[in-house]
Amino acid sequence: MSDDQGRLIIDAVSHRYGRVAALRDITLAVEPGEFVTLLGPSGCGKTTLLRIVAGFVQPSAGRILLGARDVTRVPPHRRPVNTVFQRPALFPHLDVGENVAFGLRVSGVPESEIVRRVGDALALVRLDGYERRRSHELSGGQMQRVALARVLVGRPCVLLLDEPLSALDLAIRLEMEVELRRVHRETGATFVYVTHDQREALALSDRIVVFNQGRVEQVGTPQEIYHAPASPFAARFVGDANVIPVEVARASDGNTTIIVGGGRMPAPRGAGIASGPAWLVLRPEAIRLSPAGAGAAPGLLGSIEDCAFRGAGHAYRIALAGRQDVLKAEVAAAPGAQLPLGSTVTIHWDAAAGALLQREPEKQ
Amino acid sequence: MGELMQGSLRSATAGAVTVLAVLFLVLPLAVVVLFSFHETASLSFPFTGFSLRWYESVFASAEFREATKNSLIVATAVSATTLVLGSLAAYGLSRSDSRVRDALALIFFLPITLPGLFLGLGLLVFFVGIDIKLSLATVAIAHFVYVLPYFLLIAKAALDRMDPAIEEAAADLGAGPWTVFFRVTVPQVWPVLAGATSLAFALSFDEFVITFFVIGPQSTLPLYIWSGLRRTIDPSINTISTLLMVVTLALFAIAFAFTLRTERRRDRAVPALQVPA
Repeated sequence: MSDDQGRLIIDAVSHRYGRVAALRDITLAVEPGEFVTLLGPSGCGKTTLLRIVAGFVQPSAGRILLGARDVTRVPPHRRPVNTVFQRPALFPHLDVGENVAFGLRVSGVPESEIVRRVGDALALVRLDGYERRRSHELSGGQMQRVALARVLVGRPCVLLLDEPLSALDLAIRLEMEVELRRVHRETGATFVYVTHDQREALALSDRIVVFNQGRVEQVGTPQEIYHAPASPFAARFVGDANVIPVEVARASDGNTTIIVGGGRMPAPRGAGIASGPAWLVLRPEAIRLSPAGAGAAPGLLGSIEDCAFRGAGHAYRIALAGRQDVLKAEVAAAPGAQLPLGSTVTIHWDAAAGALLQREPEKQ
Repeated sequence: MGELMQGSLRSATAGAVTVLAVLFLVLPLAVVVLFSFHETASLSFPFTGFSLRWYESVFASAEFREATKNSLIVATAVSATTLVLGSLAAYGLSRSDSRVRDALALIFFLPITLPGLFLGLGLLVFFVGIDIKLSLATVAIAHFVYVLPYFLLIAKAALDRMDPAIEEAAADLGAGPWTVFFRVTVPQVWPVLAGATSLAFALSFDEFVITFFVIGPQSTLPLYIWSGLRRTIDPSINTISTLLMVVTLALFAIAFAFTLRTERRRDRAVPALQVPA
């Protein structure tokens, strides 16, 4: 399904609920077959945008195009897009087979074809032979699979998924992520996925759109978003990065350095900010810790405020000496290598691991 | 210990009051039923013997049969109209914009607060004013006005409880508004609609006050009983009352059974996963 039908264009869409602006001038092009995730905290407008694409909400301004067709004023039942909702929303009076057949029935597909396609769709979500089950006999994960089969059976070019896994247990969620990736590969449909779970977004998507307060903060591949966040919000929301205000200065040897509190560290390479205020973005796993005075490497001083064992390592919270900031660090530690609470440590990182972002001085 | 005794004392008192209240409500009805089978024309104790003669005489009466027929015609017309218009109105109310909905609901439910006397008088003035001849048709119209709010109250509650995502899912799968209504909404709430329709039938079937104002030369069953009381008092009145009671109770039982069926289905359908709203 690589033709234009699966191309979704969101063109300058804005929406207000009364006086509240839910979406401000969103423009986004989704390529056929792409898996795009709208990621953001609750209330950021991502679900509203999905409902606008599905046709349940009329945007205050802007257009929705599917392929070359403007569908902005087309009601939901005439749009060639289908939605998987947060709740499975199965028809309680119909069995699994009839739930899946519903879309085909209302569009008048011949009975013999319905039987075959319902079987295929159920096989695709690994529920072969579940046709005669009632929805109340299914587990949460199975219900959501039926909901998925119910939309896949119509072979939509564009599939919208509104936090479809958020109501499931962690184990089932992880299993369903694998299923979603497989179904996406096998169907070749365009997936537009809404979630507030950055881990899910990183695991599933070709591209992520980070939303905040009705605006797009950043669009990029999971790697780009993770390693080169475009804003402090994106950095904090995806991967829980440390975002610390710093000053950039040119050192006597000609290299740029960053000043954090009283300490100096080499600036990340290619940061693009020669001097002045900046945000330093630092992933927790990029930070290394050593007991104060033990290592020769330059670093900042801090004291261990909290420590949680995470299996693969320890998650520390470190109060920076002489500053308000608390750094989060994840250290893959050898057994028994836990740093004691309250102890003073030297904090360091590879210059390449950090990133700098513009900062307005008065916002500190 | 003391608390336990106090508790059992309290529950004993509550039990006794409940029994007294039920007796107070049921005993007069029981007496009516009992004396409908009395062998003599006496309406008070002692009960001297059992007989079906009053039933025979009631069924032999052409006036009774005519009144029953009229009541059935009116109740059927009223409940059928209420089912169709009431379901659509309840659906509209339930699915409309919340600001409009509250104002509309107030207007729709207002007739419940009016005494039947006012409703009857108001409708009489209205019919006379626009020069409509009083007949069974005016009775049916009046009953519709009287019955609709009760139907709406029940139907709207059932529609409000439905998960809106289910109708959205149907629309999303290509079902137009009418298809959604008939293939998704109605199949989920029909037992409630059926129950509310039997209630509408029962309310119309034994309505007296409003009917009294707006009826023409014909008679309905409640009016027939009333006119019978004015002439002579004999157990045939008890007989008719008993029959009316049986019909009404049966309809309420049907309504209750339908509602129960929906509740049970809902309990069963509580999904394995529940999303906090």
